[in-house]
Amino acid sequence: MTGDRPQNRAATRGPGEGAAARRPEERAAATRPLLESPVLDAHGHVGTWPDFLIPDPTAEGLVATMDRVGVTAMGISHLLAVGPDAERGNRLAMETAARFPGRFGVWQVHNPHHRTPLVTDGVWGVKLHPDVHQCPLDDPRYEPVWRLGLPVLAHGQTGSPWSDPALFAAVAARHPDVPLLMGHAGLWPYGFDRAARLADGHPNLHLEVCGSRITGRWIARLAAAIGAERVLFGSDACFLDLRTGYGRVALAPLAEPERALIRGGNLARLLGPRLLAPRLAAPAPDRSPHPRRDLP
Amino acid sequence: MPKFVFDAHRLIGPVPFDDLPADPRPEMDRLGIDRACVTHTLSLYSDPREGNDALLRLDDPRLVPVPVVVPGVPGASAPSAPAEVLDWGAPMIRLCPERHRFDLTGPVALRWLAELDLPVAVDLDETSPAQLRTLTERLPGLRVLLLNPGYRRLRALAELMAGAPGVWVEIGTVNTQRGVEWLAERFGAGRLVFGTGAPVADDCGPRFLLDHLDLEPADVELIAAGSLGRLL
Repeated sequence: MTGDRPQNRAATRGPGEGAAARRPEERAAATRPLLESPVLDAHGHVGTWPDFLIPDPTAEGLVATMDRVGVTAMGISHLLAVGPDAERGNRLAMETAARFPGRFGVWQVHNPHHRTPLVTDGVWGVKLHPDVHQCPLDDPRYEPVWRLGLPVLAHGQTGSPWSDPALFAAVAARHPDVPLLMGHAGLWPYGFDRAARLADGHPNLHLEVCGSRITGRWIARLAAAIGAERVLFGSDACFLDLRTGYGRVALAPLAEPERALIRGGNLARLLGPRLLAPRLAAPAPDRSPHPRRDLP
Repeated sequence: MPKFVFDAHRLIGPVPFDDLPADPRPEMDRLGIDRACVTHTLSLYSDPREGNDALLRLDDPRLVPVPVVVPGVPGASAPSAPAEVLDWGAPMIRLCPERHRFDLTGPVALRWLAELDLPVAVDLDETSPAQLRTLTERLPGLRVLLLNPGYRRLRALAELMAGAPGVWVEIGTVNTQRGVEWLAERFGAGRLVFGTGAPVADDCGPRFLLDHLDLEPADVELIAAGSLGRLL
């Protein structure tokens, strides 16, 4: 974070500069799908999760919602892969991406305990979840991930021994050529400022803003703190509701150029030609003997 | 696109842990929120009496006061007696049993709530589904607006709604994929209320969600304002 930036520059803009407006027809225009530039969701999932009920964990449901609100594509990891079986979950994610060409990119999950095989083609990058895997982000067991050089999205959680933003800063310094996305921007509101400060000195470290505790106001603050070009839209759908996540960006008190960067421009820049890779990927079929209860 | 949007849960005043707008109206204007139930932050983070006094001095029809009540024995309550609450003329009160350390289903709270006969807003983090079930069983006519139900306790929330028809639910934090539709299909949109908890909680996401619910327009109108109107 640079010291001369006003803390809440974007959040203090006048009412007329936001995405929403007072009259119904103006509101409709404000929240209509924004198709003039791609809307890219950097953080998505398919599948079920044991902690709670997800009413619609399907890829079909996600695509329907993406169409409803105008999200062009979403990077997904399968929640089975985040959980106990990364290899099979990764195959399921690749199959999902193949079934909906152009709508899903794949974040292949790497479980450091299982030494999950990694690929370089047909994926957006690598997903790490240091908290679920109970392996801190700076652990040497992640070396194969950094050597790959692909973008990495990792769960980030302020105060966590596994994924505190300070660990992101350390890893970003060690691997300056790896685009690193701090998932949830640290998750807890009391840590957002610190997460931005820690990221500020590392151009390869970006803040991805999904989570149940973040606000549109905080997204604008983060953009003011480290620049909108370092902030990325993510929803955490289907874990969370895509509409709520995207709505925080769509209606955040941001200027439109900043909003365009956050809602897709930045991720398109980071991914480059990789953005279209899922269209070309031919996934290996799932030959597991286990039934696929978590996908239709 | 709802014609009228009524936020059931906003705060007015400063909070100790962040630099947030003390006045909700500019953000309501920006997001197209026509009216809001408001509680003063002093009532939550300082003195309930002082917060309620400030709240009741507001003179804006867009802001509907929801004062905080602390039931208690003489000398421990705020205000001093239920009759004072009725004099305020507020359409709903807020209870914080965890924050203010009183027993929501104890004899004093039950007596106060029976005498007041007003809708009660309570945060799920301040109570539990079991406690609310007991409360609504003891006071069958009581209307409860459950604030901040979150998304991780959908199963327990559904069980509560099934057993306690006097419980309405704020949707702002029901944010797992299609969670609002899931509740609406089971309990009807008339039990669901648009609310945000802003500015501490987010209002942008819930406001956008309201415009993009996969429900019949009449159901969206209920969630946007009609359900709360009936509750109050």
